[in-house]
Amino acid sequence: MIAYLLRRFLSAIIVIIGIMLVTFTMLHIISPSPARAVLGIKASPAQIAGFNHAHGYDRPLPQQFLTYMNQTLHLNFGFSFKLNQSVTDLFKENAGRSALLSGVSVTIAVLIAVPLGIFQAVKRNSVADYTLTAVSFTLYSMPIFFISLVLIDIFALHLHVFPFEASQATTVVGVLKNPRSMVLPVASLVALSVAGYSRYMRSSALDNLAQDYIKVARAKGLSERAVLWRHLVRNSSLPMVTLIGLSIPDLLAGNLITEQVFNYPGLGLLFFNSLGTEDYPILLAYTLVGGILVVLGNLIADIALTFTDPRIRLT
Amino acid sequence: MGRSIVRRVRLPFVAVLAGALVLAACGSSSSGGGKGGGGGNTGNTSTTAGAYGTLPAQVGTPKPGGTVSYGIEAGSQPTYIMPITPGADSSVYDASFQYLLYRPLYWTPEGNRAIIDPDLSLAALPVYSNGGKTITINMKQTYKWSDGKPVDAQDVLFWIDELRAAVRENPANFGNYTKGNFPDNVVSATAPSTYQVVLTLKRSYNPNWYTDTQLNIISPLPSTAWNIASTGGPHLDFTNPANAKKIYDYLNAQSKKVATYATNPLWQVVDGPFKLTSFSATTDANTMVPNPTYGGQKPVFSTLKAEYFASSTAEFNAMLAGKLSVGEVPADDLPQLPRLKSQGYNVYGYPDLGFGYIVFNFKDTTDNWDKIVGQLYFRQALAHLEDQAAIVHGAFHDAAAQDYGPVPAVPATAYVPSNAATNPYPFSVADASKLLSSHGWKVVPNGTTTCVSPGSGPTNCGAGIPAGQKISITIPYTNDPPVAGQETTQLASAAKQVGINITPVAKTFNYIVSQYADPSAPQNDNKWQMENFGGFSTDIYPTTDEIFNSGGSFNQGGYDSTEANTLIKNSKFSSDPNAVEKEASYLTQNLPALFTPNEDRIYAWKGVSGPPDSFANLTQFAFTPEFWFVTGK
Repeated sequence: MIAYLLRRFLSAIIVIIGIMLVTFTMLHIISPSPARAVLGIKASPAQIAGFNHAHGYDRPLPQQFLTYMNQTLHLNFGFSFKLNQSVTDLFKENAGRSALLSGVSVTIAVLIAVPLGIFQAVKRNSVADYTLTAVSFTLYSMPIFFISLVLIDIFALHLHVFPFEASQATTVVGVLKNPRSMVLPVASLVALSVAGYSRYMRSSALDNLAQDYIKVARAKGLSERAVLWRHLVRNSSLPMVTLIGLSIPDLLAGNLITEQVFNYPGLGLLFFNSLGTEDYPILLAYTLVGGILVVLGNLIADIALTFTDPRIRLT
Repeated sequence: MGRSIVRRVRLPFVAVLAGALVLAACGSSSSGGGKGGGGGNTGNTSTTAGAYGTLPAQVGTPKPGGTVSYGIEAGSQPTYIMPITPGADSSVYDASFQYLLYRPLYWTPEGNRAIIDPDLSLAALPVYSNGGKTITINMKQTYKWSDGKPVDAQDVLFWIDELRAAVRENPANFGNYTKGNFPDNVVSATAPSTYQVVLTLKRSYNPNWYTDTQLNIISPLPSTAWNIASTGGPHLDFTNPANAKKIYDYLNAQSKKVATYATNPLWQVVDGPFKLTSFSATTDANTMVPNPTYGGQKPVFSTLKAEYFASSTAEFNAMLAGKLSVGEVPADDLPQLPRLKSQGYNVYGYPDLGFGYIVFNFKDTTDNWDKIVGQLYFRQALAHLEDQAAIVHGAFHDAAAQDYGPVPAVPATAYVPSNAATNPYPFSVADASKLLSSHGWKVVPNGTTTCVSPGSGPTNCGAGIPAGQKISITIPYTNDPPVAGQETTQLASAAKQVGINITPVAKTFNYIVSQYADPSAPQNDNKWQMENFGGFSTDIYPTTDEIFNSGGSFNQGGYDSTEANTLIKNSKFSSDPNAVEKEASYLTQNLPALFTPNEDRIYAWKGVSGPPDSFANLTQFAFTPEFWFVTGK
């Protein structure tokens, strides 16, 4: 296991350096300098030159990359051109709330999807199964913005049950103090995720229900409840472990639309705005952190699988 | 206020629920509304030609107390507090934020009229003498800083010296800086008396140009409070350039600490109507309270709240929920206006001064495009193919005004030329076809038009255009806002009817302005024929200097006209008060670009009232909430 982890760690370093190099190169191919985007179309040539010199964009590309790598190693991610703050501060301000929204949504989605999928598998081809399948497909096909706007229109603007926007607190603790304001944004994300997760769960459960060990369990006289919860759920959950691992990067950027509609500033929105303004420091830091999370997510998923399925050995 | 900016682009967002309802533009009488509080007019409204909606008269009498909230959207937040704003942070939104705290020397506009407002300015209008090379500015003696010191001539000199230090360090340290312009064109700035500033210029300029584009960027700074180079450090003589640099570096460094804007004692010394009490580093949302030492109209309400919105949809939802006093209404949400009005919101829109245009690339030699577009009759033919009325109705939901030149008839200004009052090239496929056929083209509707009479005579295609020449144009357009695509598509559709093949291509705004621009990307000159990035908002003196003069920094298409160069130069340097009107008249006729409609900037407000002008100026990126009071309705 130790050797495996060491190998994964080394390969992760290579992958991350590769991501940094590709992102850096692509950004500079598209636009060697963000000066025009940052300063505006009416920036004079002298202003463009001054900006480029102050930020090193007039140096050779390899030298720029080495400077970027050196700064990154010292955990200096630069200063946002447009937001007038350090990138580190911007991430600190937004990461917690983004992670909270995504984390809570994924957790609730899994808690609903697992029993739902099991139920549909056990009651397959019943009226309930068909109904839930229809609902899943409908939700899955709906764009997230549509679900969000419908929820706002009904529950906030007409029924006045929930606020029209998410919590405006700037800290995680502040957000947690006002859970009612997070119901609609979480609900919109859960609605979409449950649809997908429950289908995976149903499919996996169907495969496992056909296995001999389920027949043996029933033949031994175990109650149906024990068969499902002690044997079926655990074995059917393997795909869910992988899905959750793969959704870890979503903690960073997956909720742009939700953030926009519910007025919940987060990392997704930060990234999207930075794309439009060519705020290079934010874009580079974002892809770096995204790369790390993808690598980490995969690693966590692989390790978690060894606990859920003893047949799996990491070598 | 120096406000030469590119039209803001909005984050793209989704269509909203509810059925579409197209609202007709309205307004037919002359502009009304004046300043001044008090009064109990009810039921009266003022309309302005070309406006969207009407301006309600003030309702009720000002009562103290209450909170006024307004929206700031992602991408439009204030990010820099010190009034020497770097290019990276420079925007009308940042300026609006600063001006609540630190008043500019000269205030524009007056309502929605693009002129200096003498009542809101800190000085009388400048007096020019010595052949236009000496400017005397007499400041009002009624304004004070919140630390009790008067706002005087030294504060103007302080700003000028700090500006010099800033741009000497890096030209990008001030967004409104152009080499050769202010402060480079000032030989000396002195204060012969406490409230008088005298500027001596290197040469004379058109007084209107200098006042409206150079002097209106001046923003006095507290010269006895901010002349320090470290926190708690000694006060320095800012006239010494070395000191001025140290002071600038210190103030700039403090301006980068957005989390401290409301707590740093520096920023508490204000001369504007408000003081900052909180500022969120995460969203730039902020709260202000009235400044009791302000020398102008003091606000009567208790709190001014700027609320952050991640998107225009989120802001609109806040208005639908009745949670916002004042907000901007994007064109996408116009079909939902009845819902907003049912909540009690007043709605008003008007274009800000500027113009939209589709740029011609006069430098592209591919397939003889430069020869074709160099012919005026061809540009006129294209102008006849642009259906501005349809674009205003369909793309803008009637919330826009047609525009035929760099100085449009709406918004009304003193500089609109007579030939821009009505469309000199009204939409007519027949007229476009006739122009082409009378100049040697065989027009094939829905086919391919070709040159059949090459030559440079009056009935020929034009010099350098060979027989058999086709007309094929690629037009990159910005994918945000969607209206740019709709304008381009309409042109392509109409052009097809006269055998001109136009291919619209969607690109991002940044890509277009950086890659399809003669000044900044000459290596791409042969890759585009026309492009549509939007347009410009202009100063209140709407010369197209740097836009349409040869070698201009943002002469995107390389337009080159000796006549235009002369007229633009006159606008800047001659003493002719009608110079810019003559410039605009020529450009309207000569078509350096295809001018496109000006979008109305639409605002909605509820629960607040005040003089109509104080709401009308919202459409011009100006913000004077100190005239408002809370009605609670």
